[in-house]
Amino acid sequence: MIELQRDALTFSFPDVHPEARLSIDFQRTLRIPDDGDDYPLPPGLGRFPTRLVDDFSKEVPRTWLQHGGVMLPMYQSEALWLNFECGWVEMHRAQYPFAVKIAAGKINAVSGDAWSDRLQRRSQDYMVAPEQPWLDGFCVEKGFIRQFVAMPLGSGYSAEEQLTGEAEFGGLQVIVYPMKREVFERRFPKRPERIGDASALYRHMDMAVCGAAADMALAPGGRMHQEIYEDPFSFDDWDREHTSRCFVHLANSLVWRAITGSDPPSVPPTAKEYKKAGLPWYDYYDDKAVALGGSKKLDGLDSVAVMGEKKGDVPLPENESVTPENIVNLRRGLNPGQVREGSF
Amino acid sequence: MKSFGTYVRKQRERLRAGDPEYSLRKVAARIGVAPSFLSNVERGQESPPSEPKIHALASVLGEDPDVLLALAGKISTDLQQAICHRPQVFARLIRELKDLPDHAVEQVEQAARQVREGQW
Repeated sequence: MIELQRDALTFSFPDVHPEARLSIDFQRTLRIPDDGDDYPLPPGLGRFPTRLVDDFSKEVPRTWLQHGGVMLPMYQSEALWLNFECGWVEMHRAQYPFAVKIAAGKINAVSGDAWSDRLQRRSQDYMVAPEQPWLDGFCVEKGFIRQFVAMPLGSGYSAEEQLTGEAEFGGLQVIVYPMKREVFERRFPKRPERIGDASALYRHMDMAVCGAAADMALAPGGRMHQEIYEDPFSFDDWDREHTSRCFVHLANSLVWRAITGSDPPSVPPTAKEYKKAGLPWYDYYDDKAVALGGSKKLDGLDSVAVMGEKKGDVPLPENESVTPENIVNLRRGLNPGQVREGSF
Repeated sequence: MKSFGTYVRKQRERLRAGDPEYSLRKVAARIGVAPSFLSNVERGQESPPSEPKIHALASVLGEDPDVLLALAGKISTDLQQAICHRPQVFARLIRELKDLPDHAVEQVEQAARQVREGQW
């Protein structure tokens, strides 16, 4: 079952385990420069407002009703990242694990392959939460992604259009698989009660700063350091009988008001404005995890800036390079209460 | 509608203390009314202006238009249309929620909604 609450999707599997819950939300962020340089992780500027397409059945395109799911507003050339939060099972003092597959325009963001409901371990095409806390873009190389950047479906920039030659789906697609209950209980045996979940990681900023076609699609933007991790579990640990999937439509912000009657969020700050304000960027390390190699298919795509040059367009306003200085290092794997040493 | 005028005057004067752009004359010009009319409205000697002018005034003063409309004894057209479109549903809902504290209404707003998977 999937529920939408406070602009987050919660995938729950009560038939598998009462605490098998994964929450996914879509974070507004600044667009990193698409200039060939590598950038650290940008901040989260809050969740995109997310609505059920069925609540606006008269206003949305017919295909959206067929796809079901939810919708959120994006401006052209705006960026987004996905935040994964697994439910905490207090009795086992562990977060319930999930295999998560994400696609943009039905192109798998990890492998670059066409959409399939099945998990693929050889040439892994999914991520594992909570090991993978976030996804910011297309996995193009070991340790590097290209940021998800919204462009109008049909303009030719999206990964979908570059790989298939068609502008058919756009949006984001998500499918979630829980770990089998017996495997979870074996791998994470019951432990004495202790309060709190010290494993959650936050890179959210609470910031005060903080005739278009309806469909937006995601294209590869600037390069960013982000590792997509190998599945640390066995392939058989995943319950492939119980899955849930959701189509996330990306509505052009210019038509969001016409569809919903509400204003979309304001345009996020540019990377230059953000850096000038001295606000933090992030880097994330997991010493125990192994990063996947990137997808050759995805690495072969033109970034938005490169394709813009070829087309003679300027698709990314304010694409000036910046040098991030205030970088916060986040590391996974601390025990509850353990103090991170940091660098000084 | 003295409360509307008093409130608008108080907010405008507060802003004017730091910025002369919020003088009676300049605010009246920005929303497209005569200064004498705005002055009369602020003193409660004239009824509040039309809904579009209240929206413009809210925008200039950085106020919530629904709050200004309520002070003027009005309800925005989009809400009126929504209620007229489904009168029984909204009448029932409003009567049920009207006496609840704000935090309880917020809980209703934030209730989980099931997502349909669809075909794709």
